[in-house]
Amino acid sequence: MLALRELRREPRRFVTAAIVLTLLVVLLLFLGGLLDGLYLGSTGALRAQRANVLVYSADANNSIIRSRIDSPTRARVQHVSGVTDVNGLGITLTGTTVPGQRTLADTAVIGYERAANGVPAPPAEGEAWADRRLETFGVRVGQTLGVGPQKVPVRIKGWVHDTNYLLQGALWVHPATWRTVQATSRPDAAVATATFEVLVVRGTPPAAQLARDIDTATHGTTKTLTKNEAVLSSPGTREQKSTFAGIIDVTFLVVGLVVALFFVLLTIERTALYGVLKAVGAKTSRLLAGLITQALVIGTVAFVVGELVTVGLAAILPAKIPLTLQSSRAVSTYVGVIIAAMLGGSISLRRIVRADPMTAIGASN
Amino acid sequence: MFLALGEIRRARWRFVLLTGAVGLLVFLILFVQALTGALIGQFIGAIDHQSADVVVLSLSARKSLEGSVVAPDAVTKVAQVPGVAAAGPLGEGTFSVRTSGKLRDAVLIGYQPGGPGAPTTLRSGRLAKSRFEAVASSRNASDGFSIGDRVELVRGGRVVTIVGQARDINYSVLPTMFTTFDTYVEARRDANPNASSVWPSAVAVAVAPGASAAAVRDAINRSVPGVEALTRAQAVKESPGVASVSESLGTVVFLCFFVVVVVAGLFFLILTVQKAGALTLLRAIGIGGGALVRSLLIQVVLVVLGGLVVGAALTMAALGASNASLGASLGASQLLQTGAIVLVLATIASLGAIRRVLRIDPIRATIPGAVG
Amino acid sequence: MSALELANVRKVYRSGGEDVIALDHASLTIGDDEMVALVGPSGSGKTTLISIAGGLLTPTEGTVVVGSEDITGYDPKRLTRFRSQRVGFVFQTVNLVPFLTARENLLVMSELNGVGRAGRKRARARADQLLDELGLTHRARGVPAELSGGERQRVAIGRALMNEPKLVLFDEPTSALDTKLGEHVMELIQTEVKGRGIAAVIVTHDTRMTHYCDRVITILDGKLAA
Repeated sequence: MLALRELRREPRRFVTAAIVLTLLVVLLLFLGGLLDGLYLGSTGALRAQRANVLVYSADANNSIIRSRIDSPTRARVQHVSGVTDVNGLGITLTGTTVPGQRTLADTAVIGYERAANGVPAPPAEGEAWADRRLETFGVRVGQTLGVGPQKVPVRIKGWVHDTNYLLQGALWVHPATWRTVQATSRPDAAVATATFEVLVVRGTPPAAQLARDIDTATHGTTKTLTKNEAVLSSPGTREQKSTFAGIIDVTFLVVGLVVALFFVLLTIERTALYGVLKAVGAKTSRLLAGLITQALVIGTVAFVVGELVTVGLAAILPAKIPLTLQSSRAVSTYVGVIIAAMLGGSISLRRIVRADPMTAIGASN
Repeated sequence: MFLALGEIRRARWRFVLLTGAVGLLVFLILFVQALTGALIGQFIGAIDHQSADVVVLSLSARKSLEGSVVAPDAVTKVAQVPGVAAAGPLGEGTFSVRTSGKLRDAVLIGYQPGGPGAPTTLRSGRLAKSRFEAVASSRNASDGFSIGDRVELVRGGRVVTIVGQARDINYSVLPTMFTTFDTYVEARRDANPNASSVWPSAVAVAVAPGASAAAVRDAINRSVPGVEALTRAQAVKESPGVASVSESLGTVVFLCFFVVVVVAGLFFLILTVQKAGALTLLRAIGIGGGALVRSLLIQVVLVVLGGLVVGAALTMAALGASNASLGASLGASQLLQTGAIVLVLATIASLGAIRRVLRIDPIRATIPGAVG
Repeated sequence: MSALELANVRKVYRSGGEDVIALDHASLTIGDDEMVALVGPSGSGKTTLISIAGGLLTPTEGTVVVGSEDITGYDPKRLTRFRSQRVGFVFQTVNLVPFLTARENLLVMSELNGVGRAGRKRARARADQLLDELGLTHRARGVPAELSGGERQRVAIGRALMNEPKLVLFDEPTSALDTKLGEHVMELIQTEVKGRGIAAVIVTHDTRMTHYCDRVITILDGKLAA
């Protein structure tokens, strides 16, 4: 096809558009990667739960850390019809000393009763499953870490993956260990035995119904959220999503404009060419298809190069920046770039339609 | 002007597209910068605008006030360090509160009245003197935190009365109230009846006149075990939330600047190549290279100015729409600074085009088909 | 006084390791209001000659005097100024700035070369007068793409006359036009040149048009024949 041959034989014309698009792809992937990193790193612990609903205390305003569920309340929840499984969950955010490391690791110590997705059953007291994130802080399997200001000893039994909370590396521990950590980290936040922060509940009715039933049964002293709502209620999640989504949308718009701009510049150079092609019988629709093909190829090349550059960028960025590159984000970015590129490229349609075979021949005389 | 405008007039859409692209990128830059500024201010404004020169946190807190808790005797130990004029407890905690009938989160910061840790940006009313009085963040006045409003602590049901308003004292992007340390202790006890005792989150230190905050900080770090003293500026800048936010968003802004430069530079280069014929003609009939370069630069300036107007307008619209949640605003100095940087970068980017213009050999006007 | 004096001008290029002699000891004098045709086949050096005469090219040897100005040793900057003030050019192909109107094309010099507000005012009056004389007043606001071939040529001539030069150089002014139109253009050139008392060198290989000129000079392989 003429369009592809032109790309191959005269790449210089398209290189400028490709370079700019590549940069924009890097920007898009970076933004998406930040958003994904923030989201995944904040909500891993909740997403891993095998639950339909999570039960908070009503006055906690959906904050796990401030919520408290005592035994009587738990008993009431257990007796709600349709409830099949009730387990406790508690999280403490604290700094942990790692042997051989000068700086403390940010950890979320999670006391739990039942295995979750990707997290085995609770270990014995004094042991923990550690999230891979902690490996960058120097944690190794078999080490004994000192958790919290009083350095509660916890031995690492093995790794788990994507189970973090609020960007802090998760340590999954026996509830008793968690209570010890909680009591020593903030004496004014000590938790009584058998009290947890939230309950993780499975049941047969649909989640929304189950949530309502539980809150009714506890006379409104609890606020029960579906698992999805609980994930979105993690501090900052909603705001991050909407802000970043907005910025990403604007960037796609920029992609469209830039492609349009460079294709307008390109078509001007080729008005004579189009005239000649039309004079020898090429249909306008074929010419447009050719143009769109070029936009597609350039968009694809820009995406591939941009992806490589972003991967490289991610490797050299400090760990402080929560960048996570996911394939689903890559796919959606690619689709968005291609659509924007094709829309932008088709802005030259008018010029192609208007290219007059007669004047083209006159010009080349 | 003449040549620059003439070309823009005849090739309107090209310049509109470019100005649009530049405008959107400038919008991203300004918006993200405004966001970053507002976020940081709201994360940490409370620490920035309180009176302690040095803040002493627990070592395991990783420089975060929220995660810090110090033993009560730390206050005494810190007070004994030379250069310390006064030391007092500082308590920080997030609580569920009810205001204007609505349930929300709010931060209580407790300090010893008359001691370090009081808010420094009081706008109206007075500081808290007795228990269950507080100075609230003025940003949240309309949320039920105005002077005279009663804020109910959900756990325990006790009420804090607002007696003053201070500017930019938010912590963790939440409504914040500065109250007495006793109030803070009671609120904590109510929130967690299992608590054995309530420890301060940090020690607030006022430095003696003539002593430097940095020196006192070092002295404290040397003599008191288990703590990390930071000057007020450090506590703000090195707070974990702030650092990662500014770095992440800073990278985004940098990428945007980079894209603006490349887009503008390549655009003007292509344009110059495309009108090489006209440029060669003009050189041949006696127009100097300098005049042509001036014409190019005028176009660069017009595009950048156009982009700034578009970007600023979009930013103000976007901030206005999201103002309720963030209170970010676009400062004139921010706009001017960004504008200046974009202008300089765009000019540097157009060096490629400028070089082309100056390299034109007028003789080529006589060669049919050589240009045009 | 002569409008143009070339004395023993040589122009030598190096091409692929060899010396190419574009002009070989060319000597030529043109009077104040002479209209001279320079005729020769392609590659004979006609374009090189008028390029040197017009200050677009510096000779390898010899002297070039235009009016009473010896431009032989001028550097590119001085040559630029010389071209803007002393000569007019009508090129073979690109003559007009495509994104400027006919009137703007005439004004481009004064607008860009900093002649001050009074100078620009004078230039605008002169442009309007020229457009009127060339019968282009009704086309003044058109861009080149909207003008016919003949109209474009007339605008180019107008532009060449804007700075009141003493010498105007034409490179193949009628090659793209039919006989009738070509004759119109030559008549126009004759009227303008003679009417203003300026000298013109017209490079052409079109022998139909040479009878409009006072003198015909032939050039072959870089050498002038009388």
